[in-house]
Amino acid sequence: MTASSIRNSLLALASVAVLALLWKLAALAVGSEIILPSPEAVVRDLAGIMLSSGFWAAVGATLIRGLASFFISCLLGLAAGLLTGFSSTAYWLAQPLLTALRSTPVMSVILLALIWFRADLVPVFVGFLMAFPIVCGNVSTGIRNVDRQLLEMARIYRVPARRILFEVQLPSMAPFLIAGLSTAMGITWRVIVAAEVLSQPGAGLGTQMQLARDYLDTTRLFALTVVILAIGFLFESLLRVAENRLQDWR
Amino acid sequence: MTGVDLTLRGVCKQFGDHCVLRDIDMEFDEGRLICILGPSGCGKTTLLNLMAGLIRAERGELVGFSGRQVSYIFQEPRLIKWKTVRENIEFVLQEAVSREQRREIVARYLDLVGLAPFQDHYPSQLSGGMRQRVSIARAFAHPSDLLLMDEPFNSLDLDLKLSLIRSFTDLWLRDGRTTIFVTHDIQEAALLGDEIYIMTGSPAGVSRHLKVEVSRSGRSLYQDEVVALSKELFSLLTG
Repeated sequence: MTASSIRNSLLALASVAVLALLWKLAALAVGSEIILPSPEAVVRDLAGIMLSSGFWAAVGATLIRGLASFFISCLLGLAAGLLTGFSSTAYWLAQPLLTALRSTPVMSVILLALIWFRADLVPVFVGFLMAFPIVCGNVSTGIRNVDRQLLEMARIYRVPARRILFEVQLPSMAPFLIAGLSTAMGITWRVIVAAEVLSQPGAGLGTQMQLARDYLDTTRLFALTVVILAIGFLFESLLRVAENRLQDWR
Repeated sequence: MTGVDLTLRGVCKQFGDHCVLRDIDMEFDEGRLICILGPSGCGKTTLLNLMAGLIRAERGELVGFSGRQVSYIFQEPRLIKWKTVRENIEFVLQEAVSREQRREIVARYLDLVGLAPFQDHYPSQLSGGMRQRVSIARAFAHPSDLLLMDEPFNSLDLDLKLSLIRSFTDLWLRDGRTTIFVTHDIQEAALLGDEIYIMTGSPAGVSRHLKVEVSRSGRSLYQDEVVALSKELFSLLTG
């Protein structure tokens, strides 16, 4: 670890500590566990639910839904992004659909999906509809932004189209893809949990949150939120590792 | 490098309603370094793009250009930033040359432009002048029979420009490949050209064609013949 990365980690830790302190002070001021539970109560509750098998089944189910939704968005988003990036006909054909998808409220999509799909598929579908346009749009922009001068150079030197694709166009699109994946990943976890709250599949963190709300168990709601934050953080870090690998490849 | 001449006959080019080139007639002998001199924006790059086959002329014909392998030195180095110096040159060699030969060719040309120790560097780790040297090495390493150059010494300070011109001339004298070079810079034209075509007017046409009689080896800015030639070019361009 370099001195600057140690410094950055310490700053992040300090920020978390200040946040916890403010939380504790606010909880003391409010004085009601139902409205605002204290941090230590949330930690105790978290430790408690981690011992139950139902909790891990819920985490597993949410993870599987999130990852399935994310991978489908990545694959189809990449394919559609390449198509719309290379073909301006496809680009203009897809524009209205992508704009509509980007501006549709999540709640409309969830409510429609509730009518159309089984409860445990609703979150996957909703996550896909929210993440797909982001990945597709970024890949498309990446391909359309390839340096024209480099392409002209490659054509003059008669480099075959296959090598231009793999050695110029795809590497120059890669940062756009990574940025798209990172945004899509963040959105996926939020949307998956929101859809689970409404669709109530048999197992899922969203289902557990809805249950906690029914019992006015605010401490549990906070504990489950911390779990979802941890999942988001974990996958963001994994994506960063992948990003560094990609930099090396470029 | 077969002995076929290159000819442009009555070439006209327009973009929309805007006519850029009118009735261009030129003849190039093999193995010569021909300079096309004209003011900025007069259509010189368009002329090179016609010769490279990137665009087509509305009228007239270009004889001897089609099917040729072309190397091109651009105003900008146009290097791929995620490839090292060596990989950038190998990028244009893969189809023509075997792997072992590639290594040897790249090493030879990088050595000739004084960049052998930098072959594993990325373009971002080099200065602007070094990057342009890489693009010169790439153009010569590519097994072409025609070299086109579009103001490659533009936007460099005088010292750097003269040093790059020296590197280029050394390479060119060993290699002798047919080269067509466009510039708006009188000094570059006087230092490099075997022949000089002067383009003026709008739409641009050829207003003069000079054969340079000054010996190529050791041409310098302060040589009397080069000074006289520069003066002549200046009056032709401005008169």
